[in-house]
Amino acid sequence: MKLKNRFSFSATTLGMLLTSNGWAIQPQPVPVPEDSSVSPQINISGVGIATGSYGRRAGQSRPKSLIDYEDSTLQIGAAQSLYKGAIGSMGFGMLTLGNEGEPGNTPFFLSQAFLDYQGEKIEFLVGRSDNPTAHLVDFPTLRDDDLHTLNNPLNPLSNGTLAQDHRYSNVAAVTLNQGLKFFENVHAQQLVDSAGIQSSPGINSYGATFQYLSTPGMEAFSKFPSLGLGVEHLTSVGAASSGLYQIYGGGVMNLNESVTDRWDIRALDIVSVGSDLRSFSNARDTFEANSNTLSAALRYMHSPFGRAGYQLSLTAGYKNYFRVRSSRSAGFALTYVKRLGEGFDFVAQYQGQYRKASLSAAESGSLAFEQTGEVGFSFNWDATFNQHLSPRRTILNQQYQYVPN
Amino acid sequence: MTEDSAGAEMIPEEMIESETEQKSITRRDFFSSASTGVALGAGLLLSANPQGAWAAPTAKSGGSAGHAAIPPGWSNAFHPAATAPLYPPRGAPKAGEKIHEFDIEVGISVHEIVPGIKIHAFTYNGTYPGPEIRVPEGDWVLVNFTNKTSEFHTIHWHGIVLANEMDGVPNGTQWGTGPGETFKYLFRAQPAGTHFYHCHNMTNLHVQAGMFGALIIEPRDPKEDLVRKVFPYEREYTMLLSEVDTVMVEGQMERMMKEMGVMQKMNESPKLMKEMNGGMMGWFANKKAFLDSVKSGYIPPYVAPRAGRYPAPNFNFFMINGRSYPMTDEMMIRSGENIRVRLIGAGAMPHYMHLHGHDFWHVCQDGSPLQAPIRLNTVPVFPGTTTDIIIQGTNPGMWHFHDHSDIASTNNGIFPGGMMTMLMYEDAAQHGVKVPEIVQVSS
Repeated sequence: MKLKNRFSFSATTLGMLLTSNGWAIQPQPVPVPEDSSVSPQINISGVGIATGSYGRRAGQSRPKSLIDYEDSTLQIGAAQSLYKGAIGSMGFGMLTLGNEGEPGNTPFFLSQAFLDYQGEKIEFLVGRSDNPTAHLVDFPTLRDDDLHTLNNPLNPLSNGTLAQDHRYSNVAAVTLNQGLKFFENVHAQQLVDSAGIQSSPGINSYGATFQYLSTPGMEAFSKFPSLGLGVEHLTSVGAASSGLYQIYGGGVMNLNESVTDRWDIRALDIVSVGSDLRSFSNARDTFEANSNTLSAALRYMHSPFGRAGYQLSLTAGYKNYFRVRSSRSAGFALTYVKRLGEGFDFVAQYQGQYRKASLSAAESGSLAFEQTGEVGFSFNWDATFNQHLSPRRTILNQQYQYVPN
Repeated sequence: MTEDSAGAEMIPEEMIESETEQKSITRRDFFSSASTGVALGAGLLLSANPQGAWAAPTAKSGGSAGHAAIPPGWSNAFHPAATAPLYPPRGAPKAGEKIHEFDIEVGISVHEIVPGIKIHAFTYNGTYPGPEIRVPEGDWVLVNFTNKTSEFHTIHWHGIVLANEMDGVPNGTQWGTGPGETFKYLFRAQPAGTHFYHCHNMTNLHVQAGMFGALIIEPRDPKEDLVRKVFPYEREYTMLLSEVDTVMVEGQMERMMKEMGVMQKMNESPKLMKEMNGGMMGWFANKKAFLDSVKSGYIPPYVAPRAGRYPAPNFNFFMINGRSYPMTDEMMIRSGENIRVRLIGAGAMPHYMHLHGHDFWHVCQDGSPLQAPIRLNTVPVFPGTTTDIIIQGTNPGMWHFHDHSDIASTNNGIFPGGMMTMLMYEDAAQHGVKVPEIVQVSS
């Protein structure tokens, strides 16, 4: 029932690969010729989400209807078993931008283009991928940009046009793990600078996260299926002469012991400090100013025969700025997902966000209460070819010695 | 979940009080010399011609291809009642009868097929395959089978004529032995010959994952061993032939672990037990319960087309005793020596075992002696069958012995590998053979 992928590396190139002329599919030369008989495991996956919506959004003087296909992704990954039990992989993918895309601009956002090396206890990732701060807690809304200013550490280099600026970055990360349950991630990032703050591109953020994940498949029986915290230092951004610090922590807690009727709650708190801003002049300032954001979601999942039937969730968030007056914000999303078949769901959501005057002037075109209702479908699928690798985080690998296949 | 399950109830207390031999099972050295004794045929396969002249084949005389004439002493005469058990299968041990008691636990281990290829495996007493059990015909066998995994398992005694309740078929002759449970198998060792045992729950997965082993029933009187009388031998080798799709085993074991882990957690909680229903495991009390569940929203898993991650096995490693070449153990022989090789088709594929530079004698099938030995150089070993052959030391050297269905002579598609080993003459050099021992892992 999870609609938003944790690592949503997507692939729009597959169709091109299959249909283009021979010259187009020749890979560029590599320093060491590969053995063509050793083919990698290929994974193709996607999320299609399309809804009809009605509501009044930022900058709109009156409610409008529209067809929204944002956050549909197509992804391709390749993985290979390496020497000494390691796994090497790459991911490439894009997602649709929908109505936020500027007319005439590309309707796609490059979300994934990375290489990854995994050993038993250490992992290295380099390239465009998920912002390491973005998935400490995933909320059960339909899309990444739903309430994103309330449930996501924000990128103060974004001009505010795309929510994806906050969720994806160019990243170099090292992740250590203990028993595939405890994960420590240290990373450097080059955040998307759509506001043009930096004179030239470069590393502009460093951080670390710690996360605990319970045994895979046994999440319903753990009081805390996941817990985590992190700190991010964003260097020399705007009015923050010595840089910004974002400190965030949260997790998921099961409220009852049930397989068929499961209740859980998740929460995330984000504190941002280090900025000297005392007023907003544009959307970017709202991402930088010192603030505290608390988000939580209550979720009910009905699985009468051990398999998901439907899910109902209420996500809410509240944000206040420490130094900017008349800037508080609160929002909610009531989301319903009904499984119609394997991976294919009927979805419906009503969301709204209230902003006080200073914030709404900078962030939502002076619209104080933004609200939309939408219904549609989503389809979450994946296929694996030439499989020779299993997921790493398995019960077998956790409890019966690590075997990298 | 820790109570002994139904099997224990099958055994009267007085049976256990008889002379019991506690036998600790350890992993056998697969290709080391084994104890003497072979099958005295209780069930006979072929019609007889006991008067035919037959001379024990030698390196010089040999025999013609096909059936040899029946040798004197190969008293394998046809009898229409020969498949009847020698001992009543439903009997109970009497005072003075010997009981061989074994403790077998199934757990999860990591097994290395060849260097660099490890898999998680369901193992009997931690070994892949399980330990060899070897007992004299007519003695009793008591196996305390304990399940240390979250899955259901059994032991099926393949080829043994025993009481129906001891046959090890889950949801057939017994409930599967659940997590933490112990089931006691008790049976009389009959008929003599080469047999094996394996798990009969989700057999395709569990056998690939390692749940099989050899069960050798020796003739009560070794002097009446037909094979030994005609082909005197000291050394013998047991080869369990099987194959594995390592990706399938890893994926399905993980899926089963999760499902059974959920069930076990629910079992431990009275509150959660109230939520449990047949649809969670696909188990229903009867057809009506199944239909009622469908009406209330249960969607059978077959409604979704299955063409995805777990198709039919695509075997990528082919093994002798759980190892692929070059990690298989060699058969050792000397000039003039006879060795006995017990081939067991424990997996899902037929294998055509071919010996270079020699003919050999096919002497027993499914435990019982043939009407007459058959001279071959390639013998098919089908799933579920056992084949005993005698190799005679007639041609010194280092000779390949392998499945001639060459897909099985590979490791992950690379030749050579798989179901292959060597017949190695200890005195090869004395006979002027200059062929060195070479281990090749790719071509």
